[in-house]
This record gives sequence, structure tokens and C-alpha cells, in this order.
Amino acid sequence: MLRFSRSLSSLARPSSAYLRSTPDFHSATTLTPNELSLEQRHTLDAALRVDQAGEIAANYIYAGQMAVLGRDKAAGPLIQEMWNQEKVHLAVMNKLHLQHRIRPTLLLEAAKVAGFGLGAVTALMGKEAAMACTEAVETVIGEHYDDQLRDLASFPTHDPSIQLLKDVIRELRDDELEHLDTAVVNNAQRAPGHALLSTVVGAGCRVAIELCKRI
Amino acid sequence: MDTFPRICFRAILQHALPLISTHGFTRKTLSLAVMQLPNPHSQPLSETAITALFGNGDDARRTLINGWLKGGLEDMQHGKTTGGTMQHILKRRLRWNEPVLEHLPEAFALLVAPQQTLPRLDIRPAISHAASVADEACYLTSDIPEGTSWYVRRAVIASIYTAAELHQITSPQTSEAFLDELLEKSESVRRVVAESSLFAEYVGKSWGSLIKSRGIF
Repeated sequence: MLRFSRSLSSLARPSSAYLRSTPDFHSATTLTPNELSLEQRHTLDAALRVDQAGEIAANYIYAGQMAVLGRDKAAGPLIQEMWNQEKVHLAVMNKLHLQHRIRPTLLLEAAKVAGFGLGAVTALMGKEAAMACTEAVETVIGEHYDDQLRDLASFPTHDPSIQLLKDVIRELRDDELEHLDTAVVNNAQRAPGHALLSTVVGAGCRVAIELCKRI
Repeated sequence: MDTFPRICFRAILQHALPLISTHGFTRKTLSLAVMQLPNPHSQPLSETAITALFGNGDDARRTLINGWLKGGLEDMQHGKTTGGTMQHILKRRLRWNEPVLEHLPEAFALLVAPQQTLPRLDIRPAISHAASVADEACYLTSDIPEGTSWYVRRAVIASIYTAAELHQITSPQTSEAFLDELLEKSESVRRVVAESSLFAEYVGKSWGSLIKSRGIF
């Protein structure tokens, strides 16, 4: 099995601005733009609400997979490494929520239960099915982050917090696509009923995204 | 880009706030505010101008009340730099009420008064006011619970603040002590819930280990 590697060192990553141990009072990480229109504010609100829910769900999917496959010598360390990266994503999302004063979705507890259940069930179906689940989820998430970058393109470009947000979302998207590649390299497409599994998981993710935007 | 009427609206509203203590939440307050501007008018604003900028009848008064409530939220931010605890920030918000305390019952009644036949009473402005204060206080104290705790925390703070504000209207001298008492009780309940959850978690883990050691799974 191949292990994935990060394309940027930790210090060069835009998200590192949110992960410093010493407080950073730079406006890009502490202030939210005042001059957004109501529609732009709603777009930002919905986008970050979904992103946080998605990162929480991703964490619980990997937790569910680890609960079943944690002792597997090949799959265990691989899933753990991807899970570690999702933990970092979630920490960044929480900081973004505080910065931009975003209301979290009411469906967070449901996201946790559904994520753990999905991870555990697919892991019980086998290593390939677990990888297929990762492949399906990361495909939808990658497209979702691309949609968000398109929405953010119309936001004021001079604001440092918006520019940093775009860079962070681009970074998270690239990480998720790396997970997708890792899953494919690790025989996701050999999973039993791969097409059906991918369709069901993908559809579930899309429904969850739409619900979390609104609730 | 801001239009000229919008700029006038904001400037007059800002200069009307200090006049509320003497003239109340009235159209007269808005009318006299133009005489406090950096380039003051020699005459108060006419009724026609007030209607054009702020709305008919009581709508103008509601606009003034909402502007004053917004000013209260902005004033809370100064509490962050001079103290920063939840107690400090909520007390600062209560102090914002003090100059206009005698006018507050009428102001709140006007906000919840029906503007149409139904509903008979519109409590949404009251809920919105309490929720805004709670949200601002939680943000300024970097109170960042996750998930449903975000909502629970804000609901608790909103309830505490509402109770303290209503107490302030009837007994202004004891309002801060009342607020302290409510916050302390809320903190005790929070500690008990947290400790109970931790205990339940330990018991759950113990049972899990017991079951695993029996080889059931």
C-alpha cells in the first residue's frame, strides 16, 4: 500500500496561520469583513457551516473505520494518518467559525452518528470498501470546495481575511483530493458493489451538504 | 456605496442616542438630533423629513429603539478591552440601559406591539434582542462550545440577561448582584453537568472494557 505525502511543508500551508501556538493578532485571522452584502454574508455563513459539519463527519468516518480496521497492519496506519489530517482541518474550521461568527449546524450530532456509522459499516465490509467510502466522500467534498471557491470569487479581493479563507479552502480541497488518490491507489475500486456504494455514499453526502447549509 | 440619505440616516441616529435620556424614544428625539450634528441645523427636523428617513408614526420610534439596541451591542465591545469576562461584559450592557431606564418599558412594549391584526403580540424582537446580547457576549469572551452546546450556551446567557434586565427595570440598584447570582448558579449547573458526563463516560468505558474482557465481541 502506498502512503500519501503532503505537497507543502507545514509552515508553508495557509492554514498554519490558524494553528500557531502563540496568539496572532493579524487581521486576516481575527477579523471578519464588514463590507459584505447580506447575500455574501449568507453565502459565507452557509459555506463555513457546511465545512465544519463536513470535517466533523470526516473525523467520525475515520474513527468508525479505525474502530474496525485499527489493528490491520496495512490499513490502520493509513487511515490514522488521514484521520490526523482531518483533525487539523477541524481545528482550522473551528477557528474560522470563531473569526467569522458562524452559527454551527443543528445537525452536528447527527453528522457524528452518521459519520461513525458509515465508517464502521464500510470497514466491516472490508478494507477495499472502506477505501471506496473514502473515495466517494472525498470526490463530493472536492467538488463542494470547488463550488465554494467559485462563490468566493465574487467577494471583495482586497480583504486579507477573504484571501486567506480562499487559500485555506484551496489547501483543504487539495488535501481531500490527495485522500481520494490514496483511496484509489489502495484498491477502492475493487470494493464489492463499488458503483452502488459510491452512488449511495455520494448521494448521502450531497443531501447532508444541502441540509447543513440550511439548518 | 452608501447613498446620501443613508449617510444622513446613520448620522442623525447616532446623534439621537444621547438625547434619549431626556426626550425618550420619540420622534422629537430624532427631530432634535440634527441640532447636535457637527454642522448643526438651526431648526429641528420636520415631521415630513423624519417620516422620509425613519418611517411613519411609531416606525420611526422603532427605528430609534433598534438603533439604540445596536449601540448597546457596540458598547459591549469596550467591555472586552477592560475586563473581558462574561460577568463584566453583561454588566457593561446593563449599564448601557441606566440613562434610559425610565423609558425602557415603553420602548420594549412598542417593539412587541402588534403592527398588524395578527399576531396579537410579536415577541420576536424581544427574543432577537436577548439572542443578540448573548451572541455578542459569547463572541467577546471567546466562548466557543461546539455543536448543540453553542445553542445551549447562548440560550442560557440570553435567559440570564433577560432576567437581569427585567430585574433592573424594577430594582436598578440590585441588578448587578442579581446578575452575579444567576451567572454563579449557571456555572454551578454547568460544572455538575460536566462532572456527571465525565462520570458517565468513565462508567461506560468500564463496562466496555468488562464486556471486551469477557470475549463477547
